[in-house]
Amino acid sequence: MVKELKIIGKSTPKLDAKERVTGKSVYGHDIELPGMLHGMILRTKYPCAKIISIDVSEAKALDGVMCVITAADVDVNQIGYKRDHPIFKSKTVNCNRDEIAAVAATTKEIAKKALSLIKVEYEVKKGIYNPFDALKEDAPKLNEFSHDKFGNKNIGESFHYEHGNIEDQKKLSKVIITKRYETSRVTHCCMATSNITASYSKLDGQLTIWASTQVPFLYQRDVAHALKMEPSKIRIIQPIIGGGFGSKLDMLPFEPICALLSIKTGKPVQLLYSREEEFIASPTRQPMIIDLTTGANENGKFTFREVKITMDNGAYTSWGATTPFVMMQTYSSLYQVPACSFDAKAIYTNNPFAGSFRGYGNPQATYSIETNIDLLAKELGIGKDEIRLINANYKGEITGQGLNFKTCGAIPALKKVIEESKYSQRIKSQISNSKSQESGRYKKGIGLASMLHVGGGAKIYRSDGCGTRLKIDHYGYLTIITGSNEIGQGSETVLAMIAVEELGIPIEKIKVINTDTDVKPWDVGVHASRTSFVAGNSLLGAIKLIKEKLNKQAAKLLCIENSDFIYQNGSMFHDDKEIKIDKVVREMHFGLPNELCVVEYFYEPPSSFQDKEFKGDVSGNYAFASQAIEVEVDTLTGKVKVLNVFVSQDVGRVLNPLALQGQIEGGVATGIGFALTEEMIYKNGMLLNPNFHGYKLLTSMDMPDVNFYPVETYDDAGPYGSKGVGEAPLIPTAAAIANAVADAIGIEFYSLPLSPEKILKALKEKTINKVLSI
Amino acid sequence: MYNMVEINFIINGSKMTKRIKPSTLLVDFIRDDLKLKGTKVGCMEGECGACTIIIDGTAINSCMYLAININGKNVTTIEGLGTVEKPLDLVQEKMIAHGAIQCGFCTSGVVMTTKAFSEKCKNEDKIPTRDEVKKSLEGHLCRCTGYIKIIDAAEAVYKKQ
Amino acid sequence: MLDFDVISPKTSHELFEVISNSQDKNYRFGAGYTDLINDLNNNLQQNLTVINLAKLNDNNFKAININENGVQIGALVTATQLLENNIIQNNYPVLWEATNSVASGQIRASATIGGNVCQASPSGDMSCALVALKAVCEIIDSKGNIREENISDFFRGVKKTSLKKNEILRSIFVPINISKNIKSGYIKVGTRNSMEIAIASIAYHFQKDEQNNVIDAGYAIGAVAPTIVFTKDACDFILGKNINSLNETDVKQFANLIKKYAKPISDIRASAWYREEVLINLSETILK
Repeated sequence: MVKELKIIGKSTPKLDAKERVTGKSVYGHDIELPGMLHGMILRTKYPCAKIISIDVSEAKALDGVMCVITAADVDVNQIGYKRDHPIFKSKTVNCNRDEIAAVAATTKEIAKKALSLIKVEYEVKKGIYNPFDALKEDAPKLNEFSHDKFGNKNIGESFHYEHGNIEDQKKLSKVIITKRYETSRVTHCCMATSNITASYSKLDGQLTIWASTQVPFLYQRDVAHALKMEPSKIRIIQPIIGGGFGSKLDMLPFEPICALLSIKTGKPVQLLYSREEEFIASPTRQPMIIDLTTGANENGKFTFREVKITMDNGAYTSWGATTPFVMMQTYSSLYQVPACSFDAKAIYTNNPFAGSFRGYGNPQATYSIETNIDLLAKELGIGKDEIRLINANYKGEITGQGLNFKTCGAIPALKKVIEESKYSQRIKSQISNSKSQESGRYKKGIGLASMLHVGGGAKIYRSDGCGTRLKIDHYGYLTIITGSNEIGQGSETVLAMIAVEELGIPIEKIKVINTDTDVKPWDVGVHASRTSFVAGNSLLGAIKLIKEKLNKQAAKLLCIENSDFIYQNGSMFHDDKEIKIDKVVREMHFGLPNELCVVEYFYEPPSSFQDKEFKGDVSGNYAFASQAIEVEVDTLTGKVKVLNVFVSQDVGRVLNPLALQGQIEGGVATGIGFALTEEMIYKNGMLLNPNFHGYKLLTSMDMPDVNFYPVETYDDAGPYGSKGVGEAPLIPTAAAIANAVADAIGIEFYSLPLSPEKILKALKEKTINKVLSI
Repeated sequence: MYNMVEINFIINGSKMTKRIKPSTLLVDFIRDDLKLKGTKVGCMEGECGACTIIIDGTAINSCMYLAININGKNVTTIEGLGTVEKPLDLVQEKMIAHGAIQCGFCTSGVVMTTKAFSEKCKNEDKIPTRDEVKKSLEGHLCRCTGYIKIIDAAEAVYKKQ
Repeated sequence: MLDFDVISPKTSHELFEVISNSQDKNYRFGAGYTDLINDLNNNLQQNLTVINLAKLNDNNFKAININENGVQIGALVTATQLLENNIIQNNYPVLWEATNSVASGQIRASATIGGNVCQASPSGDMSCALVALKAVCEIIDSKGNIREENISDFFRGVKKTSLKKNEILRSIFVPINISKNIKSGYIKVGTRNSMEIAIASIAYHFQKDEQNNVIDAGYAIGAVAPTIVFTKDACDFILGKNINSLNETDVKQFANLIKKYAKPISDIRASAWYREEVLINLSETILK
């Protein structure tokens, strides 16, 4: 029996929506501190060069310039999880982002002018922009700080995972398909560009940073390491964040640089990226070359997956190199897979490095697997829907990697989108003769894809926990101090809803405090679709404690045995007795023995840390989803129009339908961009389209309708049975679109994006081949 | 440094006179001189719409506009919507109710465009089609919502009035 | 950061005076500013004067005037004003559609037709339509002398026009349709459905007699050559033919004549191959 709930499951507008819609929210760009200076960074002119000399004398002499710094002026540590990245580059530059100097000046104009006065002499070198070239024996060592641990000087990171017996499974296979897939480099395009304001006090050595990070506690540690400071001397305050999507998971050089400018000048310094700088010097999705071999037996059951992934690591290592953690789950466990072998290598080049991006490698992995499944089905002559249902994950399954699916909405989600999209009536490649008969300019097709992602956090650090402190005041107002963060996704609204549900305090009387590391308890951060799950559970734990306190006090006041109360409208009820919460709290404060109505709770998910073989039940629960997407290809221009998107996702339980639908639609939009229009175009390490002119986000005119059907599986681990939802909606989108395009025109593509030009070229070649074969 | 230019204009209902550098962009004037920080800078090249404001009833990108050209004009920014008695405009109410806000950085611009378009529709006594609503929002980039909730909110405004 | 002086003439007399006095200066005209500001942001200039046309109060520059010969559109007419004009919408669908495809509503509210023309971009939308309409540029110099020039001749190369330093584009004349039976439209190829700069564009404006035989043909192609091109040979070829019942050979012949004018380049937005391919594919469909 599922408990009937009062507010959970009902659409609730965002807690802070009024501030945001009236322009009152203070984003990092809006901060102005007294005496604040403006910082700017000089980046390299070339992606690969030796620095002969740096002359900052003219810049320093300019009126209004308070400070100019280069590597020579600072005593800092290297950054990045591999510690292979110097904040300032002094001997060589290795990618187009490289920071050479920074200035702080009284105005932005002066700072910009000062940058133009810095003279850098380079000796330009021929860079390496293809990971396979970097693996060649005669290639130079591209990152001088790498550890040479993986058998080649330019391999920065390497993963191997396996389960089952590949060779045996190959023998059982009727069909084996090998393909190489390539995914492009795309970027987050947060509407607010990267920003930081740092204020250092020489009086007490305290550094306060207003940073739009998604992971304030990890960030505090990273800044401290970079600057050789005591972490607790650094206070991280998060202003309102104008988009995250994973881009704010790593600390980048501009952040310690801004702090250094403040330390050197003793004044607050603000550093804002221009849009061009944002394109050039903020993280991207990890581009990949995926060599995938899969097999299936005569009944359509999958037998094995063997995959080798080559990742362009860029010049330094950031989180992009760790996307294999997530990808190996998809290869090992999306559908039932008896045997899997997974290798991934991140290879240094002179390109920029990739970071984390919503989905964390999963969109790339899912694209390769799901398009490959269509090929298997075609070879075997069975339905593309059928093959997926035959192999779908199920409740109770423990996968080869050790993921334990205590609940699983994979089959219901698949069936739902197949039914709603009328997939079997629409798929041309399975309806006899229809394809050859279809003529005309526009060709329609439909594609299907599914995905698996963590839904209950991901234990990739030793703790995946979140702390909560609760306080109820004299007047019955509740303050939730949570370790978790709001980055626009609506997590603080969900927390307030949970408190309303459990404590019966009206939402207007609830405050969520979540922006200050000096105040809030530990939490890992916003990533892995974890916030509602982990912070929600943490809050529920704290609520249980505060209820115990309130129950005890209320029972005392009402002269009854300590027992359970019903919480409603700011009051507590037991049988026919009622007492207001504020009165109970006042009695705690004033009555003897005096005490506070304050509790704290730390929640650690029941997941386990993976072993050395990357096996283990890494998440509290798992999210499943399927999408069916209908497209229309214009055979005269190669342009793909997405007509309709059907999404069904196992969300455990719907907490806030309005916010959930927003996550789904936004995710799908980013997924369509990844599939069709978005691509960072590089030539010899330099970005050719660092603007919204050339880098094409979808507009309101490009967005199709999205039909969403949540699947509720009521997972015991999640708050009210819920699962994480944030990343899932974009993960299968590109795969479903690629399958739909193949269905529409009978041509498979093995690289993203599916640009009009790529499609038109393929159509043309097909026509020529047809003519030649006649 | 060129001669400062005096401009007289109405901002959010109040008359104002200022002396400015002739090449000042309107968005910088609004944010840095008038300290109206609700208008956002997303790209500075007329592509994203975050800096949209209303001049004499028309929505424009303030990053593509010289501040001196507001001389004699009536300028409304996001701070100018709503009143003390009714702090939220209908457009803002609908944006909230339809879940059209996530990170909120594009929101000010979207609200201003929708406000201008809704006034225009009201004057012409017409309810735009959904395609016309989408077209009215083409100059706003949003990475969070996928636009659907924004379009829904705008449609609700036109139907209500 | 932008740093320039601004002079804001209010009458044409003042304008001519400013132009005369600025002959030895580095100056640019500012009308809608939607191109100029991007231009200046990307290429910072020293000692620049912007002659601000936003305050100019002269109907020769600002109004849409209709007479028996055609429509005279002032250079300072904005894209939005054009879109709100019923005569444009009903008689010159090609111009209306092209204008409607320019950037966004906020940009169209500021962007002027004169700015679009004087920018002389090979992918200019309104310009492409005007070439198909055989529009005539009315140019005035600082002494008040007027000269007229066919818009095709006005464009001299990428971002180059025939304007001399002491001249300014005052208005654009679009001749009246000789028939009410027209086939007119604008096709813009881009990756998205909005906010695009054309990868290739086609503006067509055919006027027909009652039997649907073409009595006047205008066909211009954009973004496939250094300037927008009027495809004269193709237009001549189609004259007198019944546009509703062309045979396959005629269509191919027409497309081949257009191909002759296409000299596309490859850039990050598309390859030369793609530009030419879609140009021909779409040219054929217009006649099918």
